[in-house]
Amino acid sequence: MSNLTADMMTNKVAFLNGVAHNIIADESVLDFSRRLEQNKQYDIPTLCDDNRLDAYGSCRVCSVDIALSADGPRKVMASCHTPIADGMHIFTNSTRVEKLRKNIVELVLSDHPDNCEECPSNNYCELQDVAVATGVREIRFGNAESRGKQSRDTLPEVSKDDAHPYMRMDLSLCIDCNRCVRACDEIQGEQVLSAVGRGFDSRIIKGQDVSFDDSDCVSCGACAQTCPTGAISDVFRANRMADAEKIRTICSYCGVGCNLEVSVKDNKILSIEAPKDAAVNAGHTCLKGRYAWRFYNHPDRLTTPLIRINDELTPVSWARAFEYLAERLLSIKNQHGSDAIAGISSARCTNEENYLLQKMIRVVLGTNNIDCCARVCHSPTAYGMQKSFGTGAATNSIDDIKHTEFIMLIGANPTAAHPVTGAKIKQKVMKGTPLIVIDPVETELARYAQWHIQLRPGTNVAVLNMMAYYIIDEGLVDMSFVDNRTEEYQSYHDAIMALNIDQLADISGVDKALVRDAAMAYAKANNAMSFHGLGVTEHSQGSRAIMCIADLTMLTGNIGRSGVGMNPLRGQNNVQGAADMGCQPHQGAGYFPVDTDENHRYYQEHYKAEMPKEVGYKIPEMFNAALAGDLKALWILGEDVVQTDPNQQHVVASLSNLELLIVQEIFLSETAKMADVVLPGTSFLEKSGTFTNGERRVQKVNAAVTPKVGCKTDGQIIVEMMNALGYQQADYQADTMLEEIAQVVPFFAGITWDNLGENGLQWPVAKNGKDTQILHLESFKRGLGRFHFYPFEESVEIEKNGAAFPYILTTSRNLEHYNCGTMTRRTGNGDIVNEDVLLVNHIDAQEKNITNDSQVRLFSARGEIVLKAQISDKVNQGILFTTFHFPELMINRVTGDVTDKHTKCPEYKVVSVGIEAV
Amino acid sequence: MSKNLTALAKRQGIDQTLFQELAIGEDSKSKAQRKALAKELLIGEAVVHGAASFYDFIDGDNANKKAYVCNGSSCLCADTQHNVKAKLTQHFAADDIGHVTCLGRCAQNSAFQINKENYSGNDIENLAEIINADNAKSSEHYYVESNLAQPILTAEINDVAQYYQVFSNAIAQFTVDELLQQITDSGLRGRGGAGFPTGFKWRSCRDVVGDEKYIVCNADEGDAGAYSDRYLLEQRPHAVLFGMLMAGYLSGAETGVLYIRDEYPQAIRTTEAAIAEFEALGLLKGMAFKFSFKIIRGAGAYICGEETALLRSIEGQRPLVSVRPPFPTQSGLFGCPTILNNVETFAPINFILSEGAQQYFALGNGKSTGSKLVSLDSSFAKPGIYEVAMGMPMLDLFAMAGGFSKPLKALHIGGPLGGVVPISALEKLTLDFESFAESGFLLGHASVIGLPEPLSMIDYIEHLFEFTAAESCGKCYPCKLGSVRGQEMVQDAIDGKQLLNRELLDDLLETMQLGSLCALGGGVPLPIQNILQYFADELKPFIAAKKPESEQSTSEQANV
Repeated sequence: MSNLTADMMTNKVAFLNGVAHNIIADESVLDFSRRLEQNKQYDIPTLCDDNRLDAYGSCRVCSVDIALSADGPRKVMASCHTPIADGMHIFTNSTRVEKLRKNIVELVLSDHPDNCEECPSNNYCELQDVAVATGVREIRFGNAESRGKQSRDTLPEVSKDDAHPYMRMDLSLCIDCNRCVRACDEIQGEQVLSAVGRGFDSRIIKGQDVSFDDSDCVSCGACAQTCPTGAISDVFRANRMADAEKIRTICSYCGVGCNLEVSVKDNKILSIEAPKDAAVNAGHTCLKGRYAWRFYNHPDRLTTPLIRINDELTPVSWARAFEYLAERLLSIKNQHGSDAIAGISSARCTNEENYLLQKMIRVVLGTNNIDCCARVCHSPTAYGMQKSFGTGAATNSIDDIKHTEFIMLIGANPTAAHPVTGAKIKQKVMKGTPLIVIDPVETELARYAQWHIQLRPGTNVAVLNMMAYYIIDEGLVDMSFVDNRTEEYQSYHDAIMALNIDQLADISGVDKALVRDAAMAYAKANNAMSFHGLGVTEHSQGSRAIMCIADLTMLTGNIGRSGVGMNPLRGQNNVQGAADMGCQPHQGAGYFPVDTDENHRYYQEHYKAEMPKEVGYKIPEMFNAALAGDLKALWILGEDVVQTDPNQQHVVASLSNLELLIVQEIFLSETAKMADVVLPGTSFLEKSGTFTNGERRVQKVNAAVTPKVGCKTDGQIIVEMMNALGYQQADYQADTMLEEIAQVVPFFAGITWDNLGENGLQWPVAKNGKDTQILHLESFKRGLGRFHFYPFEESVEIEKNGAAFPYILTTSRNLEHYNCGTMTRRTGNGDIVNEDVLLVNHIDAQEKNITNDSQVRLFSARGEIVLKAQISDKVNQGILFTTFHFPELMINRVTGDVTDKHTKCPEYKVVSVGIEAV
Repeated sequence: MSKNLTALAKRQGIDQTLFQELAIGEDSKSKAQRKALAKELLIGEAVVHGAASFYDFIDGDNANKKAYVCNGSSCLCADTQHNVKAKLTQHFAADDIGHVTCLGRCAQNSAFQINKENYSGNDIENLAEIINADNAKSSEHYYVESNLAQPILTAEINDVAQYYQVFSNAIAQFTVDELLQQITDSGLRGRGGAGFPTGFKWRSCRDVVGDEKYIVCNADEGDAGAYSDRYLLEQRPHAVLFGMLMAGYLSGAETGVLYIRDEYPQAIRTTEAAIAEFEALGLLKGMAFKFSFKIIRGAGAYICGEETALLRSIEGQRPLVSVRPPFPTQSGLFGCPTILNNVETFAPINFILSEGAQQYFALGNGKSTGSKLVSLDSSFAKPGIYEVAMGMPMLDLFAMAGGFSKPLKALHIGGPLGGVVPISALEKLTLDFESFAESGFLLGHASVIGLPEPLSMIDYIEHLFEFTAAESCGKCYPCKLGSVRGQEMVQDAIDGKQLLNRELLDDLLETMQLGSLCALGGGVPLPIQNILQYFADELKPFIAAKKPESEQSTSEQANV
């Protein structure tokens, strides 16, 4: 298996073609041989092997001769599933195994078309390679007229399948290695593929022998990537060219941080695959990362700066745009002061670009009015975890999923929103690791959970406090951890034990016995890991719920070692990085609060400039200030606030009231349409820099193609703006920017462009380059971990609007689309899912006369929309669910103004609404 | 195998398996029902469809027929089935008649099945009566003989309570370790064909830590010609249950699963009755040790007799052969430590514990010990089940059965994957693993089919390839592809299209023998090679003259 490493080496030896080598415990003979394969003449050919999958043993091409002593009797064994043993002698190229391999491959070819030149996989075919390696030159079976029975002669229509937006099947090319079936099961966990029949006539199927389109396929492409012949492939496979350049970069969708390998020829992207050696995703990714990239040269791309002249966005030169902006910005600054200007940075952009934007806003324009979309997603995580532990980031690594014995998943749907991490959790849970899911929706993972606590949206604090109660009440607190590593336990304990559990169960609508069982199981597990998402943070009590989760991890001592911890699933590729880089109004780069003397001095010394000392506006405050006339200019980098921020009418009114709205974008988004100046930036495929994923891993983004003609990288745009404003900033270059960041941000101290390597480094990175997989090992960042008690409080939204609008709407993303869909809607993903639908419980549907797929009116105190209903018991009675990907719908017309009490993160997840059939 | 599917099947447990839902459940026929089943069991629809499609009697061509004709090797050699088919055709439409490979009626042949009842011998002549009567009984007859002073496997069990008293006495008197030592001391080796030491297997399962363990009895007696397991389950079920119970006690398992092939409906019924009888005894009442039995009914797939395929079958996976390690004692049913033995391996445990390991060990040659059941087919004067001591000369055994009933040219011993033994080679064979192996044959499960003088050996080779092609799980390439290519080559030679390329045939057999994942593809070359060796003259007209340039074979002799 691929996760064998040199540090597992033993003193025992085995002999490879007569030469002694140390062995690694549990490695297979194939692993052993491959590890020592410096000498290519010992190469063992294989067809059914993929080192990410369990050994399968179907092709037998990897057979070797094995003896227990040098001259002992030899036995032919398949090397892929034979464990290496002390003293074993392995002969990889004896005459009889070479003959065996050749004869097996001859058999395979006897049931395979012989027209390679016409095959789309020609030259990308492992069967071709293995045929050459084993020396098959003729196929002796059958006579001249026919080559005997062919399994492909009886293939039904569905085995040649080209109707799907991405996936392709042509079983006439299939060699029944079942790598696809195994990848679908062992990597993605979907089991869409299997085989039908038995023996010679068995063949691969999707679902109950239907097309990709009609199956439950999630288009992750794992089958296509592993297929040795092209029997299963994708629409991009035929594009591949032998001389294409391969560029490794990082996906710009979710916070998992999948490594991608982009094939490029003549500055055009041919295909994207996932590199097998990637620490984050080991050859896997989802349909967004692998397939949803054709937006990059979509005709809708902006290609020139635009300035609103006579109320029309009019193309201008870059020089004119910067000149105009410098003039306007300086004029506003002079007239209204620096604090009349604000910036919203982009979690989709690189660390270096985020760093630059906050630098421009703070150092050049002189205000701390800088924020980023972490505000609307995980700001409560950063805040709450800083309060509890001292660091607002994941305590552990995704790799720890391998080592954990228990998983608690709160308010997150990772199989849709973080597919590769979701798949890893699913793999673990399918194999029996117990899972608690706390979520108002029956998510994919909830189906596999031992305990699905399907609470009413907005009652996380109530349920988490109930769990704490049962853990304490049952005497399951890890007292040695609590005594040695935490503070404020006693007051927390007293407050929890004073709670009225029946009342909390009533409030949250859950069965208290279920909560008790779950809490006890979590507390009893040796190593329990928790994950959470926006279902925790996007609430009026978001930050408090975060601290409640932290309380549970401390109560049970699940912190500071492998396989435990508290791990936010960061929503965007670089939302961790945007906050790390200081795109927050209260903390600068590296999280130093801007308003203390010491930190103020620190930043001034580093930037050698005057710095603002007042805490700036958070995003919702920016809108309020704009509406009030206090904020005059807003610079938005790659963020479509009109579509994605709550209470759209309010956002639009606020933006309309600005004197100057600047939007850096790749498409004319709903926000860009309102801008005074639009600056055409670039996608991740056209720029270099770094992204930091949800496990603090800083990884290299490498430009695959040059920026689209007329566009500039977003970093370069900011640099040129800074220069136009009179500040000397060198041109945007990933390595030099990183050098500057490493001097300001302490946990980047040891990061250089060169030492990031292929798989990046997890911060904090010490000066010597040593990175950190697990935080809070011996002590917390803040010293002692701190318990916080907060009682449940009903959201103002429910109190104010609950009576008039008795249903609760909660929103989230689906697998196919990403946030407002700017990118995914412009790819084949739009052919798979092309609208937002509303999930309605069957009882509610009955009461309101709503039928499946009919249009319904959804309305709140703010506004209304009409959308398609789907009757689904994934939601309880009284609860509605939808996604927010399509601007045609603008779900944020109905969402509200309530925000988290500590961070102003909007409460997207609890919206009081009404519903009726149209 | 899929670890995920194994673990998900474990969640459901033995009482709700996908396989049994598909094989005997009523709510798993339509696409919609299967979709719902997939959802309920948290697995993909493809998994359900893929599993169902594997079995003859679920989605296979032989599902839901009104009558079945046996096409096993013994009935084929006895040449009785043309008559059976012809008679059935008078009462059933051709589409309503399926076939089944071996009903275990090899003593009489003319075997067929109607309404889950098996018939043989003269029954076909009373077909109208059978069709019209409710529960018409078969007039089956076969001899059950033993020359042992104290028969072990064929002894009557008159008093069931007393029979199980041996269990209570043994666990009161001895430690687990001592009892395991007795099993080891008896020299008992697995009777399914591989001859693995039973005491060693049981102890290794005992030594694996696991919260759940299983005892699985392999009663998927698919080898044509073999019906000794059927005999035990129909006539001596308590001997088998006792052995499983003891295995459970000694290894720490609480569940015993009997995987009985669907072709043996009577065996299923008698075993069910015996389980009820065992439960009624209340033997374990008040004990910390619990043990319950569960019958899993097969659905028509020879490969399920292979232990890993059998386990996957129970789990609802496609019953493809799994790689080993892990061995079932480490990770077997539902991924739990599992003792999997053949029916006959469990049956002498009561004797060993009541009469002493030495009594058992005394029979045999020291390496192959105890007694063995031998299934003799209708080519013997007194066909039936013979219990004799291991090591007995084969000719003496055949003499017990009154010799051959007709002129034979060879015997096929040990199932389809056993050797084809020419009559001339019988003299030196004794009934033990060693003698057969040394002579280039295989004892296997010790079934004996007579190949009559008129039988064409090229046809028999074709039959062996065809059987393998039909029953290959399709996982490993040598078996899946080799069996089909082999059958085609032989068929072409029979049809006069193309003479056999001997070098290619030898290459093919070597490829299957060395390369196959399990004993099916790896085993079928043996009888074919035996025929090529011993019947070279008869085959000569079908084999092409060697090309001069290919005379020098580069193949290295197997050095094992």
